[in-house]
Formats: sequence, structure tokens, C-alpha cells
Amino acid sequence: MTAFARARALNPQVCLELLCHASFSVLLFSLTHSGKYLTYVTPRMAPYLYFAAAVMLLWAGADAFRLFRPRNRVRVAHCLVPAIPILLLLLPHSPLSASDVGYGYAGGSAFAGPGAQSAAQAAAREAEGDLEFGEPQDEITATDASSGAFIEVEDDAFYSWLNELYMNLDTYVGCQISVTGFVFKDPETLAADEFVPARLGMTCCVADLVPYGLVCKYAAAGELAPDTWVKVRGVVRKGEYAGFEEPQIEVTSVEPAEPVEGYIYPFEY
Amino acid sequence: MPIPVHVVTGFLDAGKTTFLNEFLQCPELRDAERAVFRFESGEATFSGARCADFPIPKRELDAQPDGVAERMGAILRERAVDEIWIEWNGMTPFAALQSLLAHPALRGLCKLGKVIYVADAAKLEALAGRTGSAPAEQMASCDFAVVRGVYTARGLKKFQRLLRAFNPGLRVHRAICQDDILKEFSGKKLSPWLRFLIPIVPAVALYLLAAPLLEPPVPLNKIVNIFLGIILQAIPFLIIGVLLSSVIRIFVSGAFIENRFPRHPALGMPAAILAGFCLPVCDCASIPIFRSLVEKGVPLPTAITFMTVTPVINPVVMLSTYYAFGGNMRFMLARVLLGVASAVLIGFTFALRPPKTPITSGGALAATMPCDCGCLEDAESVTGIGGKLGLLLRHAQAEFFDVGKYLVIGVFVSAVFQAFGAGAFASAQSGAGLAASMAVMMLMGFVLSLCSSSDAVVARSFASGFPPGALLGFLVFGPMMDIKNVLMLSSRFSKRFVARLTVCAFAICFATVFLFSFFGGVSL
Repeated sequence: MTAFARARALNPQVCLELLCHASFSVLLFSLTHSGKYLTYVTPRMAPYLYFAAAVMLLWAGADAFRLFRPRNRVRVAHCLVPAIPILLLLLPHSPLSASDVGYGYAGGSAFAGPGAQSAAQAAAREAEGDLEFGEPQDEITATDASSGAFIEVEDDAFYSWLNELYMNLDTYVGCQISVTGFVFKDPETLAADEFVPARLGMTCCVADLVPYGLVCKYAAAGELAPDTWVKVRGVVRKGEYAGFEEPQIEVTSVEPAEPVEGYIYPFEY
Repeated sequence: MPIPVHVVTGFLDAGKTTFLNEFLQCPELRDAERAVFRFESGEATFSGARCADFPIPKRELDAQPDGVAERMGAILRERAVDEIWIEWNGMTPFAALQSLLAHPALRGLCKLGKVIYVADAAKLEALAGRTGSAPAEQMASCDFAVVRGVYTARGLKKFQRLLRAFNPGLRVHRAICQDDILKEFSGKKLSPWLRFLIPIVPAVALYLLAAPLLEPPVPLNKIVNIFLGIILQAIPFLIIGVLLSSVIRIFVSGAFIENRFPRHPALGMPAAILAGFCLPVCDCASIPIFRSLVEKGVPLPTAITFMTVTPVINPVVMLSTYYAFGGNMRFMLARVLLGVASAVLIGFTFALRPPKTPITSGGALAATMPCDCGCLEDAESVTGIGGKLGLLLRHAQAEFFDVGKYLVIGVFVSAVFQAFGAGAFASAQSGAGLAASMAVMMLMGFVLSLCSSSDAVVARSFASGFPPGALLGFLVFGPMMDIKNVLMLSSRFSKRFVARLTVCAFAICFATVFLFSFFGGVSL
């Protein structure tokens, strides 16, 4: 008897399950490894995603032993559970941008900027001692920054700078600053001559994106189209929002800018 | 060409022989040279009409399966048989029939055709409890079922639900409706690959073609993003949940729980809360664990407290609430303590008034079966650590699929709601009193189905429009019960139980938070 004749029929259900697990595993791994997962969840999820990929691979391996076990009633519908996320991950879609984030969430006050932030950061300080935010400290060396030191807020140091300005506002009042973000205006929390060059911040996953940034005083704020990307130059000033002191920017110039890709991850404790 | 083998299975005295007598005489059935192998000898006499009858005692099959296979092979070669019927013994695993057909003496000669499960409605529930896994496996393997002793559409529906606990989507026909049975019998089986591709290919094509046309009224891109975000977050936790739940099922014996776990709720509740604190998982993980705890005999009130308290009390949730509300320790404590109080109260209502009907969805029948996860094939024969680990993997996998399908549906619904914005909720309550605001916020928590570790940030974003009491309602009730939890629970539990749990959780969370806010409450 040849080996072929001895081979029994493939069990299509196990075969399909194996394919689903294996492809989901590979996809999860490459998504995490390449950093693309950051458009859906925060860096905190990386170990969990690797773990999920490993278990899926284990399942696929276990399936391999059952490939030739006969089964009469073959089910396939359950394979849609991994298949739907796999397909959606592969089908074309783009990361969310400013215009996608419904400020309607809180009737306009989804802006987690000023009040929430400063308090949260104070808490973070208290809870964990001095947080290490390498970049801003490295760049600003002089304590007499008020004499016109220039803060260039790099795109990938957006949140560290935001945090630094909230923490040590007195150090930076009077400094020149330039920052890139999309124009965020919210009539409920901001005055007519105010806007925020904001970035979207993710706490847990893409479902909870909210804008973060510094309030800018700008007489011509009304002329800025919401959600367009701008580079703002100005001077750091001490402002007030809901009873809290907070850093704001007195704008000297606003120029169009290229959109910055990626979100910020404020709660990476 | 291999000869089709049609199989009739079911309990002894379920009416298998009677079914064969009736069915084979059906005038619409094609004329063919039939051989009937009967491995069961019940009370009814086989008429033997339009076929050749070969009774084979079960003893013989057990003692010398090789001999049986060779005898069958000899018969098939001797006669020009073009259709085989097998009356299979109700207590013998279906897998044994499959290995019989794969025996060298028969392989290539015949192939499995339709497998028909015959049942007597009156006897089924009483019998199933006492009989191990073979009947469950038979139910799970059949292509369709025929039931006698059912006279109303409602009765049929009930019976169908019973069998579908083992064989999802199974079609059940009444024995007297011979036309339906004949139609079902002569229907062709679609290839499983086709069945898988048929829903997928058009959906993908539609997505590629229609997606640009849908925007802007339908924020498809946003729905996809939110769906994937929540799914990627939930799946690792779901996997942790099904693994832990399978460990409980396979390695923890019912006797151990019986002896060690405090029976009295007053002791069981603290144990449940402690367990919830020690398992830093969210609600996606606690539901599978809840299922195995209940099945292993943990008292229901305690298990319910465990399930409802876990998402609120775990350290990650505490930390994220603390940060989201700007380091407001009192608010975080209020959330946790109210959550614990509500969970304990919900548990106690089930201690005071235990459910009268079985809470699992398959009714009494499913409750007595060892496992309905589809890995019935050799669940009983597994011994040794290696075998158990293999079983653990398979069990976890089966449960992943089982609970996962409800997760996918739940997350999709919630992604649609989130993409369209929750502004409607906010405007619905503006200017209303605390009770109305709380109800709106709790309803929103139920609909949005956020993960308990991220809901605090969302709640914070509502802070300007809602009083703190309403936010607490959202944060206490949301993780305990929401669309995806309800769907995941109904994969195993009766509608009645899930409904009671949901209503009860809503009422109790509302009451505790409302009273708390009424007597001082907490400010932001």
C-alpha cells in the first residue's frame, strides 16, 4: 500500500482552524514587531500581543496533530472569529485623523487638554517620583531660559514637552517656542481668539482618542480652518484654565505644516 | 465509486428502527440495493422491507472490531450494494463508527453519507444525564435530527434549542413530517471551503468597492479602526481568560472545589473579591472563568460576585481611574468600593432567590454533560500530564471560538455606536436630574462596551456635561455588564438568567451609586 493510499482524508475544519490561527499569529507578530499596532493600541499592549501570537501559534501546532482525524459534521462559521479581524487588518483603511475624532463625545468638551492634564501630571509626579523625560531636560540647559531661549518641540517629544511645561512652567515663561499640531477649536472651552495646535492622544486604544496641546492666544484664530496642520511660533506665557495655572502660547506666527503621523501616548505609566 | 453510508443514531428505544421502517418504505425514496447493518437491538422489529438486513450485536463489535469490518467488507463485495444504512448503537462513540469505516477491509469501499439523530422527546432529557459523553458526541456529529413525541411548533423549538447546545445550527424535523425529512436527506452537502468563502468573498468585494461611496454619512474607516482597536486589546485578555478557565476545568476537580471552597456566601464573597483582585484581567477574561467556576460547582452567588467584581477591582483599572481623574484618590476609591458593594449585593440576590430553572442554555441536558466544547472525541480517555495539556489547548481553543464570536459581534456593535458619536446621549440628559443623568450614563456604558481599563478616560471626557454621580454610574455598571458581556454570557447561559443578571446589576448599581451621591457623594 502506498503512503498516499494510507493517508486519510484531511479534516477541513481542523485545516481551516489551523490556517486561521497560523495567519493570525503571523499577523499579530508582524503588526507588533513593525510598530504598526500603535495605530490601534498603546505601546503597553506589545507584550500582550506577542503573548497572543504565541498562543495562536501553539494552537496551530496542536491542530496539526488532528488534521487527519475524521469528523462528520464540519463547522466553519466559528472560523470567522479570527478571520474577520485578519481581513479587516489586511483590507485598506487609514489611521484616524483629527477630523475623525468626534468632539461630540462630550458635547464638545472631549478636550482633555488643560485642566485634566496638569492635575494628572502632578499626580504622576507625586506617585512615581521624578519622571524621566530625557529630551526636554537635555535641550534646555540654561535656567535663565526667559532671556529668549528657543524651544523647538520635536514631533516625537510632543507629550514630554507638554508635560515639562506644565511641571516647570516658571522656568519656561518668556521662552520662544515652536510646535506643530492640527488646529483644534472648541467653542465651549476656548475663547474666539484661542485655538490649540493639538495632537491626538491615545489612552488605551483608538476608541478613546482625544486632542492634547497648549492653548494659543491668537487674534486671527477665527481665520484658521479647524483640523488643518500648522506650525505655531510664539512665546510661552502663564495662562489660566478652570482655576488652574497652565502654560499657554502667545502666538507670533502661524504657518501651514505637513501632517504629523502617529498618535501620542500620554498614560504610559 | 464508494457506496454512501447513511447512519441512524440515538438512544436505545429512541425509535431508530421505527424510523428506518417508515423511511425505507417511503414511496419517494429511490429504488436501490440496500444493505442495513444494525448494531442495536431494541424492542421494535425491523421490517426488512426493500433491503437486506444484517444485525450485528454490540458485543461482537466491542470484542472483535476487525472481524466485524471484514464481515461487512465481504458482504459488500458479494452483493451489488449501492446504498448502506447503519443503525448505530446509542452508547457507542461515533468515532468508533468512523474508525470502523476507515478499517482496511472497508476503506475506499464506502463513504459516510447522512448522519441522522433520532430522539424521543419524552425520554431524552431523562436519559442524557446518566450516560457519559458518547450521546453528546453523537448529537454533535449528526447532520440533522428527527424527533418523535413532539406535537407543537413550540415543542419542536424547545427541543431544537436543546440539541443545538451540542450541535449549533442543527435542523430538527418531526418524525411525522416525512416530506421534510426526505428533502433534508436528499440535499447535497456543500463543501466546507465553499461555505467559508461564500460569506467572505462578497463581503471583501463590497468593502473594496463600496467603502469610498459610503463616506461621509457612514464613517466606515472609523468603525474599522475602533473595531480593530478594541479587538486587539480584548483578544490577549480573552486568551488569558480561556486558558485560565480551561486550567480550572481540566486540572481542578469538582471534589476539590466541593471540599475546599467555602459554601457559605459570607465566606465565599471575600474569597471572590480577593480572587478578583489577584487576577488583573478585564471582563473579557472573567466571563469564561465564570463559566468554568459555575460548572465546577462554585456556589452561584459567589461566582457572580467574582465575575462582576473582577473588572472593577483590578489594579490596572484602579491606576487608570486614578490618572484619568487627575489623581483624585477619593473618586477612584468611590468607584472601587461602590463596585465591590454592588457586586456583593448582586451575588446576594442570587443567594436569596436561587434561579428555579437551570441557568445553562442547553437546559438540564447540557448541564449534566461533561463538556460541550466540541472536543468530545476522546475527553474521557485522556490521562497523564501530556494528554491533559493537549486537552487544555484544545479546550481553550474551542472556548476561544465559542466566546470569541460574541466578542466580535459585541465589539462591532459598540464600534458602530462609538463611530457615530455619543453626542446623542449627552444631549438626552441636559438639564435633567441626577437620576436621569445616571440612567443615561449607565445606558451609555452598556452600549459602548469599553474595556474597564480605558473607560475612565472616556468618563473623564464627559465630566463637563454630567454630574460626578452619573460618571460613577458609568464606571461601576459599565464594566460589569455591557453588550459584549451579555452576548458572551449567552453563549452558555439561558436568556432568562442573563436577563435577570443584567436587570439586577443595573438596579443595584443604580441604587448604590444614587444613595452614595445622595448622602454626600464625591466631587471631582
